Amino acid sequence: MIQKKICMLGSFAVGKTSLVRRFVESIFSETYHTTVGVKIDKKVIQIDGTEMTLVLWDLYGNDDFQKIRWSYFQGASGYLLVADGTRRATIDAAVALEERARREIGPVPFVLVMNKCDLIEDWEFDPELEARFAARSWTILRSSAKTGEGVEEAFSGLARKIAG
Amino acid sequence: MGSAPQPAPDSRNARSMADAPNSRPAGDPQGEPSVNGSGSLEELRRLILAPEQEALERLQQRIEDPESRAEDVSGVVAEAIQRRREQGGSDALSDALAPTIETALRESVRKDPKTLASALFPVMGPAIRRSILETLRSFLDSFNQVLDQSLSWQGLKWRFEAIRTGRSFTEVALLHSLVFRVEQVFLIHKTTGLPIAHSVAPAVAIEDPSLVSGMLSAIQDFVRDSFHSEQGQTVNRMNVGDLEVWVETGPYAILAAVIRGVAPRTVRDQMAESLETLHAEYAEQFRCFSGDTAPFAEANKELSRCLGSKFKEEKQPRGYGYSLAAGIVLLALLGAWLGWRFSQYRRWSELSERLANQPGLTVTSFAREHGHFVIRGLRDPLASDPLKFVRDAGLDPSGVEFHWGSYYALDDFLVEQRARAVLAPPGNVVLTVKDGVLHVDGTPSAQWLNEVPARALLIPGVRVLDLGRWSPEQVAFDDARNKLEVTVIRFPLASSTFSAAGRSNLRNLLPSIEELLNPPVSLHRAVRVDIVGHSDSSGAEVSNQSLSQRRAERVLRELQQLGIATMRLHAQGVATADPVRAEDSEENRQYNRSVTFRVTEVPPGQP
Repeated sequence: MIQKKICMLGSFAVGKTSLVRRFVESIFSETYHTTVGVKIDKKVIQIDGTEMTLVLWDLYGNDDFQKIRWSYFQGASGYLLVADGTRRATIDAAVALEERARREIGPVPFVLVMNKCDLIEDWEFDPELEARFAARSWTILRSSAKTGEGVEEAFSGLARKIAG
Repeated sequence: MGSAPQPAPDSRNARSMADAPNSRPAGDPQGEPSVNGSGSLEELRRLILAPEQEALERLQQRIEDPESRAEDVSGVVAEAIQRRREQGGSDALSDALAPTIETALRESVRKDPKTLASALFPVMGPAIRRSILETLRSFLDSFNQVLDQSLSWQGLKWRFEAIRTGRSFTEVALLHSLVFRVEQVFLIHKTTGLPIAHSVAPAVAIEDPSLVSGMLSAIQDFVRDSFHSEQGQTVNRMNVGDLEVWVETGPYAILAAVIRGVAPRTVRDQMAESLETLHAEYAEQFRCFSGDTAPFAEANKELSRCLGSKFKEEKQPRGYGYSLAAGIVLLALLGAWLGWRFSQYRRWSELSERLANQPGLTVTSFAREHGHFVIRGLRDPLASDPLKFVRDAGLDPSGVEFHWGSYYALDDFLVEQRARAVLAPPGNVVLTVKDGVLHVDGTPSAQWLNEVPARALLIPGVRVLDLGRWSPEQVAFDDARNKLEVTVIRFPLASSTFSAAGRSNLRNLLPSIEELLNPPVSLHRAVRVDIVGHSDSSGAEVSNQSLSQRRAERVLRELQQLGIATMRLHAQGVATADPVRAEDSEENRQYNRSVTFRVTEVPPGQP
């Protein structure tokens, strides 16, 4: 059995928890976020016929990402960097979080998930920004926790990057 | 190698000699001495060493040729392995061979799983059976402990606790019987928090090991961060109620055991030992761990060594016997009580049925109220005493309450009793009632008979009074018949003419004849009246016959003239054949010069 530790990173209220709620197996309640600072869920996916178990560490954080317990990040094989496409500040925070993550555990695969794509009319993720990320070779996926769009793709995209 | 050529001391020389041509300057033609002296020496050397040189070349060729080398090794490989094992180096040999064998097995399964399955078939069955037996044995040990307790007083307490808390009895009993039990053991990768291996005791409910391992790891980090403990220090014990989590930490992995109850120190020793063994066996795999648990497939065996349990000692070995005896006594008492209840129930049912069938008693409800049987209904004053039936049924009369309303029952038996009470018949009179008709039989006095009709029909249940032959109509009919049959109409000597007395007698009979010929329809009776003419014995019989016939016809004619319908009257002369009296005196002889009447009943309705 192949298992991978995956972290969920992102500013407060970008929809990290909502993103996984409908797609994972869980035995812990969401109060773990505010107590221990992390909630652990599980997602089993198939990559080219091989089963991979993603153990998701959904890290609790607010806009001041210093509050994130970075020790939880140790040993992660990759992470989902989640931003709210309708809030520019969260996209900037994602950039900062990626830098911090790189400092903590070195370069590991990650996917930038631009959440809330169902609110495209309020979108602040402009082509100029997209081009900037593309220049850095970042993988950017759009998702909506509300409609479920792109969530499976975000997980499988990250899993593929990890599997190499 | 055994067959390697023995290196002769000369070989060095041979080597140096063999090297010699290489040291020749390029362009120097081979085989031609550059100078005479050295050319001869070379020739000489070639002549002397040529056979050895060739042998060396052949050897070199053989060593360098893979095919011939493989052939050489194949001849000795089995002996070499055998010798290595005898020398005690089997572990190193196994370590060296294991990856190759594993790869070969994997490849074999990949190519054709059937081949390996067929080869393993004879050993798989026994292995599976043994595994199942071990699991069952372990489970039965726990179950026996539970069974031992299930009939005791303590067992009953636990059963109550199980009902109160909504848990199963087995679970409650196990928890109380346990001193301790190591329920689960996790081997968790230290850096990632991923579970590497997990072992569980039988009949233990578990959550997803990935999530539990992750959270255990997170808690370690959380405590370390929150209290700024040094890197490498870990929480080695967590406690919730009677559940504990013991943690042993190694360089690459941590071992966490979930323990219920109070475990001895030896459990931690075993955990430490197992963790050390695992680090020794899987050092490389731990170092390179990237989430694949396949290389740790065998680690569960080591983890299982940490599982274990201990149950409380049985303090009273004979407790089970006492419990059994108490159980049997309880069951016997219960059985006796149930039997008694059943018998009582049956008796009450029979009583209810009997009361319902009793004349003069109508039961409307039969119920059990505040410990008594309460029977409600209607009762005729002449009905039997219901308490008598309670006593007859063998039941306690104090356990029953009756609530009766009064009524008159129309059962023949009771109407008959009521008629006797009201009419007070003399001893020679019998009263019977059938379907509401009161029948009177016997020989009642005329006075009593006079009073009966007025009173009988006032008795509840008497619809019709049947006095039988004591009805006035019947009496009048019978009186008329008697009167007619005893009357003798006498005639003068040798005459068929009425005397004055004879005519008067006949006229007195008219009401009786009317009564007989026209009785009340209710009597359902009819008669024929024969008018019989007689003569005395004096004179010739032929003339007497004629005379008696004339006397009978004279009476018939007289009656006709008096308005009597003669359809049922028949005149007949019998002369001296049926004398009225024996002619032993003149007076008696006169009685034979007469006419008498004979009444015969005929079916009603006949002409």
